Amino acid sequence: MTFKIFTLLLQAAVSTIGISLVSIAIGFVIAILLSAANLSGKAIYSAPARVFVSFFRGVPLLVQLLLIYTLLPAIGLNVPSIVAAIVGLSLCTAAYQAENLRGGFASVPKGLIEAAEVTGLSPRQTFFRIRVPIALRLTLPALVNEAIMILKSSSLVSVVGIIELTKMAQDLASSTYLPIPIFLSAGLIYLVICSVIALIGRYAERRLARTSI
Amino acid sequence: MLKRHFLKAAVSAALLIGTAFSAHAADDALARIKAAGVMKVGTETAFAPFDFIDAGEHTGLNVDFFAELGKDLGVKIEWVELPWDGVFPALEAGKFDFVAGPATITKARLERFKMTAPIAEATVAILKKAGDTSITKPEDIAGKAVGSGKATSQFAQLQEYSATLPTKVTAREYVSFNDAYADLAAGRIVAVANSLPNIAFVAKQRKGAFEVVTPAFGKKSYFGFIGKKDADSASLVDYVNSEVIKMKKDGRLAKMQEKWFGTTFDTPDEVKEPTF
Amino acid sequence: MIFNPEVIIEKLPELANGLLVTILLWVAGIAGGVVLGFLVATARRFGGFVTNAVLGSIVEVLRGTPFLIQIFLLYYGGPFVGLMLDPIPCGLIGLMVYSAACYSEIFRAGFGAVPAGHVEAAGCLGMTRLQTIRRIQIPEMAVIVLPPAVNLSVILLKESAVLSIITVPELTATVSAIGSQQYAYLEAIFILAVVYWVLVELTDRIGRLAEYRLSRLRFSKA
Repeated sequence: MTFKIFTLLLQAAVSTIGISLVSIAIGFVIAILLSAANLSGKAIYSAPARVFVSFFRGVPLLVQLLLIYTLLPAIGLNVPSIVAAIVGLSLCTAAYQAENLRGGFASVPKGLIEAAEVTGLSPRQTFFRIRVPIALRLTLPALVNEAIMILKSSSLVSVVGIIELTKMAQDLASSTYLPIPIFLSAGLIYLVICSVIALIGRYAERRLARTSI
Repeated sequence: MLKRHFLKAAVSAALLIGTAFSAHAADDALARIKAAGVMKVGTETAFAPFDFIDAGEHTGLNVDFFAELGKDLGVKIEWVELPWDGVFPALEAGKFDFVAGPATITKARLERFKMTAPIAEATVAILKKAGDTSITKPEDIAGKAVGSGKATSQFAQLQEYSATLPTKVTAREYVSFNDAYADLAAGRIVAVANSLPNIAFVAKQRKGAFEVVTPAFGKKSYFGFIGKKDADSASLVDYVNSEVIKMKKDGRLAKMQEKWFGTTFDTPDEVKEPTF
Repeated sequence: MIFNPEVIIEKLPELANGLLVTILLWVAGIAGGVVLGFLVATARRFGGFVTNAVLGSIVEVLRGTPFLIQIFLLYYGGPFVGLMLDPIPCGLIGLMVYSAACYSEIFRAGFGAVPAGHVEAAGCLGMTRLQTIRRIQIPEMAVIVLPPAVNLSVILLKESAVLSIITVPELTATVSAIGSQQYAYLEAIFILAVVYWVLVELTDRIGRLAEYRLSRLRFSKA
């Protein structure tokens, strides 16, 4: 029985990892777009981007998920659970990643950008070939932190009907009435996943540092 | 070119009429379920023995009941599992057709929703730690710390009962009953007030850890399934209701109760006046 | 679903109470977390290999597991090892310890970012290690540490909603109970969204103001 419980927790951890990874990737793309909007210097782009970041950082993820899952149907958008979960997590992490990137973009040396312009790179080329790679390198530790945060926050997606690690632990605890060992095991699994993410992050940092500016 | 445009218009017009007709043919919740061949049921899976996860499988009395109903109606049952807090907003948002739960049939709920005939008794009783000799009858909880579920009818009943005792109980509200059981084990509270079928199951699962104190202290109340009150759902609610009564008559419900509660309940066909 | 503002007005006292509990626990939690986190970061930097390794593993465990699980184990598991805490103290301790682990990492990065030359220069001038920490490292770190520390505080505000599982009557628990009792889901979602959003915006504003003043201080001629 104990072995069975641990296997079930591991299976649920796969959902946790899958949903988190997909959301972090989508969130990263949105965060780059938000940064581009912010750096455009045009209010029609930067103002909505600012409101986006403010909203998704300010409103709790739980509330965002409920908005997407139970309020969107009122305007005819009845999204399934998995879509609601990934959209909610992606938008939330996009806001945080954009904030991290903001610091990174601010630290890109001005001289490099000027040099890029002088060599005839278009603003778009300068953005994608100079600013993004450097900002990314500068904010990699923050990105790894954010990945760990999202992995832990993904436990909230159970409010839209997704069974992930925490929800599975709660369900198992509520049929066996043995919450303490089950939650200890779930905590251990989270710890292992987070440690692996941190290790990969440190490895990537070292690799990037070698090819430094 | 023109011909193609015409063809396109004709096809889309035909499609439009087609959907209009099919919409007419399936113009209420029950008809749509039959047409789709799937009935979606929302529930919380932390409510043993009605809905819970056993060895990774969603199981319990609700699963058995709706499987029988699905057979009778000729549709597949699809479960949507949410935290209890989220079940009713999701029902109103149209995420599923019916709520299993079940929920205690109360006046307040009947104002907002339609509820089926009872599937089990919901009368509230006390769960204590095994071997606790200081509580042998319900009134022994007077002046002690007792837990129950936050914003539940069981909690309301506990408070009502507490008011009749010589000294009130210190009532503590937990987000889920399972947290209350955990705190009973931890020793911060001496009892948990919840419906008889639920705590009987807890005591059975954790023999030697928990015990039920008989008799139940609450007013007699019943569990039912929940549907929407609008005209669209009327025939669906009637259908599920008729299934409850049918399974009660042909003995299937009693068999399920025996399987999940270890006992059977004598339930009425209709709760006209809930006790609270 | 219809929006009915009367529900909110009717329950204003309860809501105010929930908000107060959330703010008090959050402010006390992060205040304790900052102090404890700074001590941990300092001890890890100057306390030798063993201290660093031990504290480092504790920090990793706290940062690598969800706060929900930590608080659950502390409250419901604690009594089995003789640690019986009431909900509010348990929530406060849990929040402090968890946030200390997170803040300590920010401070550690801050220590690392102070140029070694500045520290050496202070040593040459005859400053003791304590003086160097207090007069060189802390002021220089402050500018670097502030933005991520504000960001973390915002995250912790929202994490504090987890305390509802140990029966702390904080804002999220209060609002969702009202929501389900009154079937006022829309109103509940609305209140939670607005209140947390306002609190986060306020925190950000204060953070930016502090950042601005600090950076002026740092580069001023005096």
